[in-house]
Amino acid sequence: MTMAINDTSSVLQAREAHNAKLASAHDKTRVIWFPVTLLAVLLILPALQFAGNYNYLLHLVLFTACYVTMASGWNVLGGFTGYISLGHNVFFAIGGYFAGMIFARYGVSTIILAPLAGLLCAAAGFLLGQIMLKTRGPSFIISSLALVMIARILLDHWQFVGGANGVALPANDLPVQWAKLPYYYAFVLLAAFTVWACYKIKHSKFGLGLRAISKDEIKAESAGINTRLYKQLAFAISAAFVGMAGAIWGEYLTYIRPNIFTIILVSVYMVLMCILGGKGTIAGPVIGAILILAFNEFFVATLGASEINILATGLIMALVLMFFPLGIVGTLAKAGRLPRVLNWD
Amino acid sequence: MLEVKGLCKYFGGIRAVDDCSFTVGKGTITALIGPNGAGKTTAFNCISRTARPTSGEVWLDGERIDHLRPHKITQKGLSRTFQISRNLADMTVLENIIAQSKVHGWRDMLKPAMSADEIDKAMDLLDFLGITRIAYEDGANLSYGQKKLMDLAALLMSDPKIILLDEPAGGVNPSLLEKIVADIRKLNERGMTVLIVEHNMDLIMRLSHRIVVMAQGKVIAEGEPSEIRENPAVLDAYLGGVLEEAA
Repeated sequence: MTMAINDTSSVLQAREAHNAKLASAHDKTRVIWFPVTLLAVLLILPALQFAGNYNYLLHLVLFTACYVTMASGWNVLGGFTGYISLGHNVFFAIGGYFAGMIFARYGVSTIILAPLAGLLCAAAGFLLGQIMLKTRGPSFIISSLALVMIARILLDHWQFVGGANGVALPANDLPVQWAKLPYYYAFVLLAAFTVWACYKIKHSKFGLGLRAISKDEIKAESAGINTRLYKQLAFAISAAFVGMAGAIWGEYLTYIRPNIFTIILVSVYMVLMCILGGKGTIAGPVIGAILILAFNEFFVATLGASEINILATGLIMALVLMFFPLGIVGTLAKAGRLPRVLNWD
Repeated sequence: MLEVKGLCKYFGGIRAVDDCSFTVGKGTITALIGPNGAGKTTAFNCISRTARPTSGEVWLDGERIDHLRPHKITQKGLSRTFQISRNLADMTVLENIIAQSKVHGWRDMLKPAMSADEIDKAMDLLDFLGITRIAYEDGANLSYGQKKLMDLAALLMSDPKIILLDEPAGGVNPSLLEKIVADIRKLNERGMTVLIVEHNMDLIMRLSHRIVVMAQGKVIAEGEPSEIRENPAVLDAYLGGVLEEAA
């Protein structure tokens, strides 16, 4: 009899400890110094140019920052709201073409035009969302693929923007050592802004509503959330970030052409980065972008620029996802093992 | 307070709800009962607009609401629970509840997801239902009964005028059932209007002021519990008279 009483008390104790752990996990304060330091290091990194030619390193950081922006932007719709879009490179194209054409004709730098391109993409996303978000699950993915195909055909045949040949943009006249710098800073700051904005979105009423939609749309609607408006806004916001990245990317490449912007690989990259890092987390797309681009670069260097490097990156992804089904950040957070420096949520 | 007039919902040739009319008085507990397939849940879905009614009108406090979208109806003060508890996995109980709090316009959308006031209010609700200890648990890890209680707490977060409970006692053990009965009664004493769908006759007879009986999509009887108990049409519906008629 006493045995039984002891048993329940130990169960209750375990329960209490469990609850205390859950509550403490809930109010964990964020480690702000880590992302801030990371940003500071990236901001002073170009000083290396005084010591030698580190253009390749700057290119890699810039390229990664571009994808951090796009993957984080995609995450607002795909991660928070649960609508997997394979059509986000369309907004990359809209941003790139809009800013690129104005740059080519009037010489206004795309870095200044980027916010405008973002607004244009937000409007486009809002309107496209009105149509596309009526579908759900696999149908939504297919409708987003249809969007890519339509955009590809349009851009290939629209002679005003150069058709399939595209348009060459003037390169800036900075010495080669510093030529990447404006784009470098633009992308690093854009990425930092995007990550910060995603954090703000996730922790707002809007973000809570989006997360509710991703779990159960009918429940969310009956809970008093205007699901249609929320989804369209999420689509618009995520399109805006991708569009801003696209705007600057065009000038950086000094070329806009349909097969830079509308190849499916761009949107697949966004999706893979979020899935690898952890959909719906803040740090996930950042980690995912860094890892995928690092693997890619490593395998291109060691295996050569053939299909084999893509195969190797794919194998690594498959292996990682076997052990981290919710993505690296997501799985670690669920197990309570996420290092505090990576808990940006 | 809530008035349903000539509500119809057809699925192809099946008349799930067929010209159903009843009213729910302010401050009362009204029960909607009937054999399985009588159209109770469908009627509920049409009232809360989770399903679109084929025809008919729903009035809440003198305002017609059957053309509004579900979130608008919730904002007007009519909240519902679901028969099979729908909860948001990967979100804590606290987040599940606060997700249901009212959001007005753009400025509210940008506010922090959970303000201190809202957390206090949600905690008070959990305290009222006696489940404060699961506040930080993941919504998916709850037991069936806890989910039902959480649904109730979430419902109250939006300060509704009338609540629609779809089988709040379905699959719940007897002692928890007593608790849910007591909670609903306490809410009603505070002035909450309740419309409830339930199969547990004991609960219905003890709790409700009025009973509406449905069978085959139609309202076949309406009245106080004592009247309903003796109504031959009701006994007939429950004991298979309707089925014989159909055959």
